[in-house]
Amino acid sequence: MQINLLDRIRLGIAVFAAKTITSTIRTFKLGAASVLPGTIGKRLHPQILTMLSQQIKYGVIVVAGTNGKTTTSLLLRDILEKDGWKVVHNEAGANLVNGLITTLLENTSLTGKLKADYGILEVDENVIPIVIPQLKPKYVLALNLFRDQLDRYGEVDTITYRWGKAIAELDGDTILVTNGDDPALAHLGQQLAAGAKPKQVKYFGLSEPELYLDEIPHAVDSIYCPSCGTALEYKGVYLSHQGDFDCPKCDFTKSKLSIDSKQWPQVLIGVYNKYNTLAAITVMESIGISTQVILDTITNFQAAFGRSEELVYNGKKVRILLTKNPASMNETIRAVSQVKQAGNEAVSLMVLNDRTPDGTDVSWIWDVDTEKFVNSGGTIVVSGDRVYDMALRLEYSKIDRDKGCKIIVKEDLKDAIDTALELTATTETLHIIPTYSAMLDVREILTGKKIL
Amino acid sequence: MTQTLELKIGWLYPTLMSTYGDRGNVIAIQQRAQWRGINVEVVPYDRDSEPDLIHQVDIMAGGGAQDRQQEIVMRDLAGAKAAAIKAKLDAGAPGVFTCGSPQLLGKFYEPGLGEKIEGMNIIDLETKHPGIDTQRCIGNVVFEITAKRLAAELTELLGGQKPLIVGFENHGGRTFLGPNAEALGKVVKGYGNNATDGTEGAFYHNAIATYSHGPLIPKNPFIADWMIKTALQNKYQTEIDLAPLDDSLADRARAAMLKRLEIN
Repeated sequence: MQINLLDRIRLGIAVFAAKTITSTIRTFKLGAASVLPGTIGKRLHPQILTMLSQQIKYGVIVVAGTNGKTTTSLLLRDILEKDGWKVVHNEAGANLVNGLITTLLENTSLTGKLKADYGILEVDENVIPIVIPQLKPKYVLALNLFRDQLDRYGEVDTITYRWGKAIAELDGDTILVTNGDDPALAHLGQQLAAGAKPKQVKYFGLSEPELYLDEIPHAVDSIYCPSCGTALEYKGVYLSHQGDFDCPKCDFTKSKLSIDSKQWPQVLIGVYNKYNTLAAITVMESIGISTQVILDTITNFQAAFGRSEELVYNGKKVRILLTKNPASMNETIRAVSQVKQAGNEAVSLMVLNDRTPDGTDVSWIWDVDTEKFVNSGGTIVVSGDRVYDMALRLEYSKIDRDKGCKIIVKEDLKDAIDTALELTATTETLHIIPTYSAMLDVREILTGKKIL
Repeated sequence: MTQTLELKIGWLYPTLMSTYGDRGNVIAIQQRAQWRGINVEVVPYDRDSEPDLIHQVDIMAGGGAQDRQQEIVMRDLAGAKAAAIKAKLDAGAPGVFTCGSPQLLGKFYEPGLGEKIEGMNIIDLETKHPGIDTQRCIGNVVFEITAKRLAAELTELLGGQKPLIVGFENHGGRTFLGPNAEALGKVVKGYGNNATDGTEGAFYHNAIATYSHGPLIPKNPFIADWMIKTALQNKYQTEIDLAPLDDSLADRARAAMLKRLEIN
């Protein structure tokens, strides 16, 4: 990208000021400085996001979606780095505008030069329409869309519309990689491919009917045809509203997938991580990364903090499964149930908080299908700010109040962790299912240090 | 009692109107009846339902919807379905309408964007959204039930305690009661109907309408017991006594929230 001299000078000043401030904050340990430099940089140069991101040699990959952004971004980064490329990535999860700028600034010299081959930026779903025109990404990876903190985001269909509009208006050769099993996103892809400035679209998804759910979960959002509004017909559902669908009334149907899920292993556990893996592979194959490099990275993948992360604490194995909304809780308890069926692991710890990053309204737990999980036995220890709300949800899942799992309520988190670990055999793994702020608290207790 | 009691719960638009965990009310009513050996059937009342289906149910439950879904529901209800629901409520069927569904029972809803939508015109109330830039009423809410007959019956059920509701509200619309509507309660903490007059919800025959979700019933289980008792008495025309259930979890959930909000 050509930058004129005046702009170059202004950019230099903005970068210099922002970087000096970051280093001051870090030197004096005033905070993690994950967004402030971005705020300053943007004030001094409004186009800073564009000017920095356009210097990335092979372009930016934007990762969007309600669930799975962090794991998928990390996998993309690991694959590219294993293949020898220099990558910039907002790994601290600061996924609003100022967080993105801060990430790019960290990789920029004092004269405003950014040296990187690829940028991987996970972006908050609400910010996508604002940053897409500025980043002009090479790839937009749209993972999924679920109901999540409606007070903050508004409706799922409004978000899809705004994403589509932002991508449709791009001039360059942006490629959309999206979830072909998600009706709203499949429709988005089809519209973009047929638009006035047609985009190349690639779809990932599952081709394994043995993974179909027994029934459609309660917390679904997109079971109506995005084109004509008729209820969609499903041959089977893999996860929430994602599956093999067809509209009985109009010609809306699934697009051909670019990947055969049966040919690939997955990272971590759960069907949701299968989707994350397939999403990353589809982008990497499109870029031209070799199958061997992709396979090696998947095999050796280490989870991001709290996302199926495995730790050992006092000699016992622990797996932390971050849970943010009905779709993710449905999937985390499904993954734990699968482990339960395979072996004998029967102790779980659920931690429900209601702080700002968790969402202050905890009523969503009643949209989760907890019934099977509770009635299949075992022990569930419960904790968190809203420990009794969680316990009530589980209690009301019991067909017979005297049967089903044993529910142990512990207000104090440390006490809850100790109790759950004591009940867990050394040969087994304790599964902890926390909301976001609870995950940070759990990790602090288990590792003895704060991450954020 | 030799006869096995049966209870049918009519659930209004289960997929279109269940945004904020409102199915928790249906689950709680169903479980509290089943745990006492009462047979329960949940009957969805949906777009493809015949209006008369509502006459087969003993209890009605409705939850909140996103704006687009709410509009679909309101159009579908207009006419025969609204008339059937009104007749059912006028005959004394207990109902619980939470979150967005009280707006359906009123005269109209004026959304932040788009056109005014007619309600079922059953309760004398109207709702206006002051505009999408106005702050929504969001947060934990506590109110005392003051609707005369309901308050008396619940106080008796609670052994003399005043009926205090602990819930969560999240609404953009402001609801104003007309002269022919009775408020369900008065706000102790939170916004209530409109953040100005201190009223919360409305009570109509045996129908409870409230912005409070959370969902409403699991933390306020006496509402479910009152509804089950009222519905069975209507149905079997005899005095019904429900066996007590262990509600220690709900009691502790309530106590924790009341303590957090510094309410004694």
